[in-house]
Amino acid sequence: MTPNGRFRLLVVGVGGQGVLSVARVLGEAALAEGKPVVLGQLHGMSQRGGSVESTVVIGPGYSSFIGPAAADALLALEPIEALRAVPRLSRRARVVISTGKVPPFTLAQKGLPYPDLSGMLSALREATCEVVTLDGPAIARAAGSSRSLNLVMLGALAALQILPLDPQSIVRVVESACPGGPAGRRAFALGMKAVSP
Amino acid sequence: MLLLGNEAVVRGAIEAGVAFASGYPGTPSSEVTDAFARLAKRAGIVFEYSVNEKVAIEMAFAASLAGARAITAMKHLGLMVAGDPLTTIPYIGVRGGMVIVSAGDPSCLTSPNEQDQRYLGPMLHIPVLDPTTPQDALTLTRLAFELSERSSLPVLLRITTRVAHTRAPVLYGALGTREVRGFERDPRRLVPIPANARVMRMQIPKRLDTARRTMEELFRVEGEGACIVLASGAPAATCADVLHELGAEANVALATMRGVYPFPEQALVNLLRRADKVLVLEELSPFIEDTLLALSARHGLSVTTLGKRSGHLPEPFEYTPEIIARALFDAFGLGTPHSATAPAPGTADLPARPPVLCSGCPHRATYFAARAAFPEDQLFFSDIGCYTLGFGPPLDTADALLCMGAGFTLAAGVSRMTGKRTVGFMGDSTFFHSGIPPLLNAIKESVSMVAVILDNGVTAMTGFQESPATGLENGKITHRAPIADVARALGANDVQIVDPVKDLAGTILAFEGARDAKGVSVIVVEHPCPVWESRLTGAPSSRTIFEIDPDRCATCGRSGCGMRCDLDISRGHERHMARSRALEGWTAAAPEAAWPQPVAPCAVHCPLGLCVQGYAGHIAAGQYERALALIMSRLPLPDSVCRVCHKPCEEVCVRAGHDGPVAINDLKRFVMDWAARRERLPYDPPKEPDHDRSVAVVGAGPAGLAAAHELRLRGYAVILYDAEAEPGGLLRYGIPQFRLPPDALRRDVDRILALGVAFQGGCFLGRDIKLSALVESHSAVFLALGAQMPARLDLPASPGAPPHLDALAYLKRAKDGGLTTARRVVVIGGGNAAVDAARTARRAGALHVLIAYRRGREEMPAIATEIDAAAEEGIEVRTHLQPTALAAGGVVFARTQPGAPDASGRPRPLVVEGSEELYETDLVLLATGQSPALDDLALERTDGGGLRVDSETAATSHPRVFAGGDLAGGARTVTEAIAWGLRAAWGIDRSLRGAEASDRRPPAPLMSAWPHPQTQRTRYRRADNVWRQAPPHLLPDTRADSFDEVVGALTEAQARTEAARCAVCGMCGNCRACIDLFGCPAFYLADGHVAIDPGACNGCGVCVVFCPNGAIRPALERS
Repeated sequence: MTPNGRFRLLVVGVGGQGVLSVARVLGEAALAEGKPVVLGQLHGMSQRGGSVESTVVIGPGYSSFIGPAAADALLALEPIEALRAVPRLSRRARVVISTGKVPPFTLAQKGLPYPDLSGMLSALREATCEVVTLDGPAIARAAGSSRSLNLVMLGALAALQILPLDPQSIVRVVESACPGGPAGRRAFALGMKAVSP
Repeated sequence: MLLLGNEAVVRGAIEAGVAFASGYPGTPSSEVTDAFARLAKRAGIVFEYSVNEKVAIEMAFAASLAGARAITAMKHLGLMVAGDPLTTIPYIGVRGGMVIVSAGDPSCLTSPNEQDQRYLGPMLHIPVLDPTTPQDALTLTRLAFELSERSSLPVLLRITTRVAHTRAPVLYGALGTREVRGFERDPRRLVPIPANARVMRMQIPKRLDTARRTMEELFRVEGEGACIVLASGAPAATCADVLHELGAEANVALATMRGVYPFPEQALVNLLRRADKVLVLEELSPFIEDTLLALSARHGLSVTTLGKRSGHLPEPFEYTPEIIARALFDAFGLGTPHSATAPAPGTADLPARPPVLCSGCPHRATYFAARAAFPEDQLFFSDIGCYTLGFGPPLDTADALLCMGAGFTLAAGVSRMTGKRTVGFMGDSTFFHSGIPPLLNAIKESVSMVAVILDNGVTAMTGFQESPATGLENGKITHRAPIADVARALGANDVQIVDPVKDLAGTILAFEGARDAKGVSVIVVEHPCPVWESRLTGAPSSRTIFEIDPDRCATCGRSGCGMRCDLDISRGHERHMARSRALEGWTAAAPEAAWPQPVAPCAVHCPLGLCVQGYAGHIAAGQYERALALIMSRLPLPDSVCRVCHKPCEEVCVRAGHDGPVAINDLKRFVMDWAARRERLPYDPPKEPDHDRSVAVVGAGPAGLAAAHELRLRGYAVILYDAEAEPGGLLRYGIPQFRLPPDALRRDVDRILALGVAFQGGCFLGRDIKLSALVESHSAVFLALGAQMPARLDLPASPGAPPHLDALAYLKRAKDGGLTTARRVVVIGGGNAAVDAARTARRAGALHVLIAYRRGREEMPAIATEIDAAAEEGIEVRTHLQPTALAAGGVVFARTQPGAPDASGRPRPLVVEGSEELYETDLVLLATGQSPALDDLALERTDGGGLRVDSETAATSHPRVFAGGDLAGGARTVTEAIAWGLRAAWGIDRSLRGAEASDRRPPAPLMSAWPHPQTQRTRYRRADNVWRQAPPHLLPDTRADSFDEVVGALTEAQARTEAARCAVCGMCGNCRACIDLFGCPAFYLADGHVAIDPGACNGCGVCVVFCPNGAIRPALERS
């Protein structure tokens, strides 16, 4: 968190993964705690399988920008998108990444495989405070809905207590207004469990 | 509540008692209309998605005249569409408060341009409000209605993406009451004919003055510091955050202009008087900055204005905290200088992830069909919607783009100026928005173009808003305004409706029909957006998804016999293959299993195993150089073979029983003639370095020439011996020049000799050279003598019988120019030599020529088209005639009838007793077959008397002597002889160099070595019917006394049409059509192989239908 009290979370992923819903739940949780919050989201063409990001800024203020080296945390629903966000991360940033790959179509067109990101991921571990990875799609499948990857990752984020929010406020929003139905709630719970000691 | 800025606008309007709402969706404004669509019924608001922004504004104005508060929403581009009504509304004045929400898009995040709507204020006399946050959007919207009613002017609420799409807690106000006061008749105030308009104009300054008072009230200054910042819109909020972050709030007075027009002049002057410099923070154009400069001049103020004009801030794009912080430092020394942050290592190389059409999108199938139907250089014009994503590879269906509705206008204008038939694409919603006038315009002018309307039932790009074409009734999609009927009503005569997902073949053919039509063709593509559909139904649009069959994907059936080409193919070639497969009209629900075959029937039956579909595909794609390379890598005598081949391939072509076999040899001829016109042959065969081994090749016919060529490529020294003075053998001395002109043969022979093959003519084996000596002086010997010995036909000859001559000797004499003229000629035999001799005799002046054959016409070994050509030239062909004697003045023939099968399996011709008859003639030519002269060769024989030769390596009983062609028996054609030559070269190389021998494998003996010899003509299904193209022929009358070549070459257009008829019956190892042409995001590459991501596949099945290799199959059922 910055000295004057704003916490900046960057949520990134691929169009269709549910990045905006994750941000929305966190916003509602902050609101329930009476904490000032602003969410930034980009709509439009990014929905068609493009890169999507949403920002969650908790603390007094108006703007939803997260500039270079300004993010306190990153929730990434896809590894390439996680690495694309690296220049936005501060050194103290805590990072949660779903390792499930979504190959960008540009690769197939060029005849290229999904890149080997291990080198860059270890560089990311060096450059930030903490990196947690988990196989989000596998957990989502175990929960019974491959579309609930975003809730798995949200559960992990909540359990890691990275945000200046009580995990229970997030749980309550998920339970009262969960977009994914029972499978979504299961996914959220499994995500929490996956990172709990 | 957490609301988006757009939703806050709606809340503000409802709090203000709005009674009417309209709009046209467009990012970043869409959530305004979407929220009204959700809430209207409950809130008692009359709402509509208008067909375009002009209608939306007019509807809102009409509602205002009816005494209701009205709001309308659109993006910045849409406001320009509505320009015309907007200009006159301030003259007439509003009754109920009227608010226009227009969302701007700094940084062009989802738009083709940025534009600064604030200038419309002074231009059209319209008050402009500029909210800074979602909360501010609510407050200002509510206020805008009051402002509008007080001033009688419509109010423009301009928001930008950063406000519209920020979600923040918003405090609600009290809900107001709705009121519709009714329409008051007052034509003099409401009809702006010029006399009235001049009166109305005079009222505008007063109205603006009223509005100005509100703007003064909205002006807000926070902080008392000495550094003055004047901001508007989102940057005002961002600046407050930056100051807070810097802890610099005490140093700054931050003034926010929430009402930007009419200018709050008093407040501004007051502000300027306090300062010696002021920093203006506003996105896009220097609207406020220039006003300040003018105000300073007018009021004699000495303040320095910093901003865009002074270079402290950039003009384009959104203002981030970093930009604002830098400006604060530069202007006032606040904070610290920003250092440029270096990008993290490697992140620049991450693959981009641009938006693409969704998996299962019908637009992709439409574009695929269009690209399959139109030539590669076709011009396509696009429009605004999801389908704009046809831009770029692999679909490449957007050559230009302008604005809503311009897809058709651009297509029409370019067509009129270039004379090229163009294609314009447009979505259903866009068509109704502004596509109808350009279509009508094109029809009126009879423009040569194809107008394609992509009707997916919904305005998908902006979030699935309804389209005028379709509506929902009880959750089912219903048609309201059928687009095809609209097009017909506009005067379009050629209107087709297609569904590329259900019927890809029909869609391709519809595009091809439109391509060839004149004037305006309209194609309406109807298939609902599957994403929308599954949102409606709550179920995936298909339960079946698909996977790749790795045994078929990018698999060449020739790999198993070492004959895979490993040559690249072009996009055009892939498109030809995919189009051809798609035209078979199978569906994903009922695909043809096990098709195509690993190797096409034509290739299986080709003695050389040529990949016919490969070079046909290159020709179809206009890639003649690639076609040439594919032919010449397997065929050393292409200029000859493309004229004299017996074409077993065409007999087995799947189109043979339908619209005619593909003219395979004519295609080869086209490529060779194309190559002959080049200055330099655009093909260099791969040649290994020379080594010290040498081979003697005896016989310079097709087998010998082919072996010599192949052995030179394998690095051997080759001496080619022949009894004749010139190389060519049968090609030179046995085939008449009207079938094989000397120039064509010379090209083949010269190319081979140019590789460094030494030729020694006039060497007769056994007389001038001895086999034993050749074996002594060379590493190996290849005997390719051919069959020079005429077959015996022992006939009793009476005195006075006509002279008789061997047909090959006659043909050779013709080449030498020593023909004698006979008035009447009888040719005995049914092979190519017989037909060639007969046709030569005709050209030499014979008035009557008869070909007599002892079996039936079907059994004649000669090439059928050659027999036909002979008949056309007036040569009589009679079958079932057996010569019994040469009598005075002629030949005695007996009739035959078919008896029991002989050793060859054919019915043995039996002479009918007593049917003998004399045929008068001056010359008898015997063409009853030749046999090789073997007498001197001390090599092992077969029972039949031929040499015992290994059918795969041409090896004889002597380890260093190889033999092929006629010597080995069975080689009755030029093409088969060449195959023997290649096998001999391979056999020799392997026996001499063992494992070092080049791996380039020769064609296997016919069919036996193919991994899948069962390939048959079992299957034929096509949506198209295209007749075989015929090359030009000399007319029978002219050619019967000329030795000029009878058959010409296909024209380029004919060749490409003919090549595109190839049904691509075999699998291709170089294919990646799914990724290269279709580009569905469900495809990815894993270990170099195409794979389908089951999570991404939508199950549309279009790829199953066109996959050239038939390699896509149903996978699991989705739950």
